[in-house]
Amino acid sequence: MPQDDASAPSRRRRRPLSDVESLSPETLAALIDHTNLKAFSTPEKIRQICEEALAYGFATVCVNPVHVEAAARVLEGSAVGTCTVVGFPLGASRSEVKAFETDRAVKDGAGEIDMVINVGGVRAGEEDAVLRDIRGVVEASGDRLVKVILETCYLTDEQIVQACRLSREAGADYVKTSTGFGAFGAFERHVRLMRETVGPDMGVKASGGVSDFREALRMLRAGASRLGVSASIPIVEGFRALRYTAGWLAEEVPCRLCPSRAADISKLPKELFLYYKAACLDCPHREHNRFYD
Amino acid sequence: MHGWRGRILDVDLSSGTFSTRKPDERWCRAFLGGRGLGVRMLASEVPAGLDPLDPAMPLFFLTGPLTGTTFPTAGRFVVVSRSPLTGTVFDAHSGGSFGAALAAAGWDGIRVTGRGGGPCYLFAEDGRAELRDASHLAGLETHKTRDRILEETPRGTRVASIGPAGEKKVLLAAIMNDRDRAAGRGGLGAVMGAKNLKAIAVRGTGKPSPADPARLDAVRKRATKVVKKNPVTGTALPTLGTAVLVDIINQHGMFPTENFRGGVFDDAEGISGVKMAERIVVDKSACYACPIACGRRTRTSEEEGEGPEYETVWAFGAQCGVNDLEAVAHANYRCNRLGLDTISVGSTIGCAMELAEEGLLQDGPRFGDARAVVDLVEKIGRREGLGEALGVGSRRLAESRGKAEAAMHVKGLEIPAYDPRGAQGQALAYATSNRGGCHLRAYMISTEILGQPCPMDRFRTAGKAEVCAFFQHLSAVVDSLILCRFTQFALPVDVYAEAFSAATGVDVSAEEILEAGERIWNLERLFNLREGFGRRDDTLPPRLLEEPLDRGPSRGRCPELAGMLETYYRLRGWDEDGVPTAETRARLGLERLGS
Repeated sequence: MPQDDASAPSRRRRRPLSDVESLSPETLAALIDHTNLKAFSTPEKIRQICEEALAYGFATVCVNPVHVEAAARVLEGSAVGTCTVVGFPLGASRSEVKAFETDRAVKDGAGEIDMVINVGGVRAGEEDAVLRDIRGVVEASGDRLVKVILETCYLTDEQIVQACRLSREAGADYVKTSTGFGAFGAFERHVRLMRETVGPDMGVKASGGVSDFREALRMLRAGASRLGVSASIPIVEGFRALRYTAGWLAEEVPCRLCPSRAADISKLPKELFLYYKAACLDCPHREHNRFYD
Repeated sequence: MHGWRGRILDVDLSSGTFSTRKPDERWCRAFLGGRGLGVRMLASEVPAGLDPLDPAMPLFFLTGPLTGTTFPTAGRFVVVSRSPLTGTVFDAHSGGSFGAALAAAGWDGIRVTGRGGGPCYLFAEDGRAELRDASHLAGLETHKTRDRILEETPRGTRVASIGPAGEKKVLLAAIMNDRDRAAGRGGLGAVMGAKNLKAIAVRGTGKPSPADPARLDAVRKRATKVVKKNPVTGTALPTLGTAVLVDIINQHGMFPTENFRGGVFDDAEGISGVKMAERIVVDKSACYACPIACGRRTRTSEEEGEGPEYETVWAFGAQCGVNDLEAVAHANYRCNRLGLDTISVGSTIGCAMELAEEGLLQDGPRFGDARAVVDLVEKIGRREGLGEALGVGSRRLAESRGKAEAAMHVKGLEIPAYDPRGAQGQALAYATSNRGGCHLRAYMISTEILGQPCPMDRFRTAGKAEVCAFFQHLSAVVDSLILCRFTQFALPVDVYAEAFSAATGVDVSAEEILEAGERIWNLERLFNLREGFGRRDDTLPPRLLEEPLDRGPSRGRCPELAGMLETYYRLRGWDEDGVPTAETRARLGLERLGS
């Protein structure tokens, strides 16, 4: 298994940052998977994000499978890795298909594989099937890094814990919050839960809805060791503003940082929607829960 | 000198004489250029209480150390003087290419004093200048003025002029350049008109001479990339122009409606950026060296022109209860040609509508009457009929009608298109602005609504004083370099510091350039204090402080100004009356004006 020490390439780092306060724009950039998973992205766009990643020193570029070969070619010989997605975005492909996708992606030059877990299987408690599904990808990946996307928006806390355990048991390197295409993305509460579950030696990646530096810092403080973002450049450049005033970090209303507020009945199974909303009733911060917008 | 050209053209219109002087190099370094240098020169020359329309009042047209380079947005210029509308120190900025032409002609700026014996215009070219008779231009609208001057001057000349509004010294008069760009706010067009100066035409063949061209080119490339990757400057503004804000601000319930009596305009869709794109936009336009291209060429059933911008859409739209996009566009075109500030004109018409509704303004316009809006723009520009009463701005109008609280202003300048009851930080920014009701001194909307560089809760006050002061300093820097406010959505401070260093050869850190911004801000404050402004003017209209909105997402709240102001004064190193302490002045190298 890859070593995780100070001399290891930053891409291999899985432990949470011990000192978020000492981050610089450069070290922040090194924790970012510079992501473009849009259906309409052209080869020219992919080339552009590769060049951006080289200029800023991002950890990887994360692209759809069809773009892996081209991205790997641009990034060859650099410290920037090529990451791709498997079983994306629904996680509802057959395990054999995910394994085939992985094998093909590795042959095309991918060094990191972000696979979507069998979300329905997790929700139904089908542990064996979920375990096999992840193992298939881990085995097909060889020594490449595997991250398991849990799609936390569709899971209860208990299911998130279980998915983390299965991912670790299957030999994955990271657990990851979201595809960015689900009902909602990363929340620090989920990142914290994932970190507490997997411990310090497995990676935790926060992705989905992380669009500014304050959000990025929240995720890192909660225990993330990698960020999956498309707004990588605004985040790194915006982060520089922190140098001049700490006013940006004024405390936020707790509800705005809570997945319960993001739960939308049109996007979630009804029992999950009610699960999230029920949490508000006993929340110690419920006095803040009176927004108009 | 590098960056700066090392020459200010002094023009005395009374005697018709010219001279050239080198700007004080210490001032260039300490105040950067543009707005900062202009305010420094103004503060040193103008005695307390001098009437803005007095011939002795200087009127500066200034460039900055980046003007004319290919750095993004580096074609702008600033006009600095004392505002006849507010009485404060005032700087009004404009885009287009006039600034680049002024720099190419070899000037850091032009300082105009005195008063011409008759209408005149200044033609400045490659280090030489002459005054020309402008009798044949008297009364002409700005487009025709420009066209006539271009017939008489060499190819490549750029023109800044006033229209009939400035000639008649309407307090809402703007200075227009490159057809439809405006140094709009504060009535500086009236200052120009009071000098009988109809226009300034510039032409130059000089090239910028940065101290380190390779270094400047490197930071230019970085800046361009960052601007293009930012969601506001790279997507929202290029796609829909500034009118993209109509829907955003209305959905937050802070789109001021019918003179700030409401925050939601039910017909906002009809005057939105999307509706503009569907109905009247024919092309994009961009200022000199600008990668954002927020400008819009538009065409209605009657004519075509530039805009309207978001503020103008609001001013003639929701502020007046008008949902007729063509009427809004037409009012905008007429303001451009008459030479009027669309924000103050629209806001004043809205004020007039409220007064008329309450029987305080006979024959006044009614909310929703698009035709009346267009008609009043014309009358204001020519000081005819009811336009005479409205052309003094909403504060004087409302006071004259016995309902001062109907005027939505700060320090006499009409508040623009963001209701501060929807954003605590913007409320503080308006109240503390050195030039009155201005959204651009500290565009807190950037963080409170648009999430740049990160979102801050718009209804909370924590951190707002700190961020407001930071934005005020950074805006002063950007206004002095001179670059476009929109670059601030994307560029970190160190990019501005690097660009300044590369252009001038004067190495400054990000902290040092921000300190220059703080210095400029404090100097403006001292100028205003000397003119009688004080803590009591750092406030908002009673309606906005005391009457919450009753519907929409911003309902039920008012700015918590007192607490934020106390924090703001303290962190600025000002006393409880808002006066910079001796220690603060010493730290910034500022002496008391006049001592």
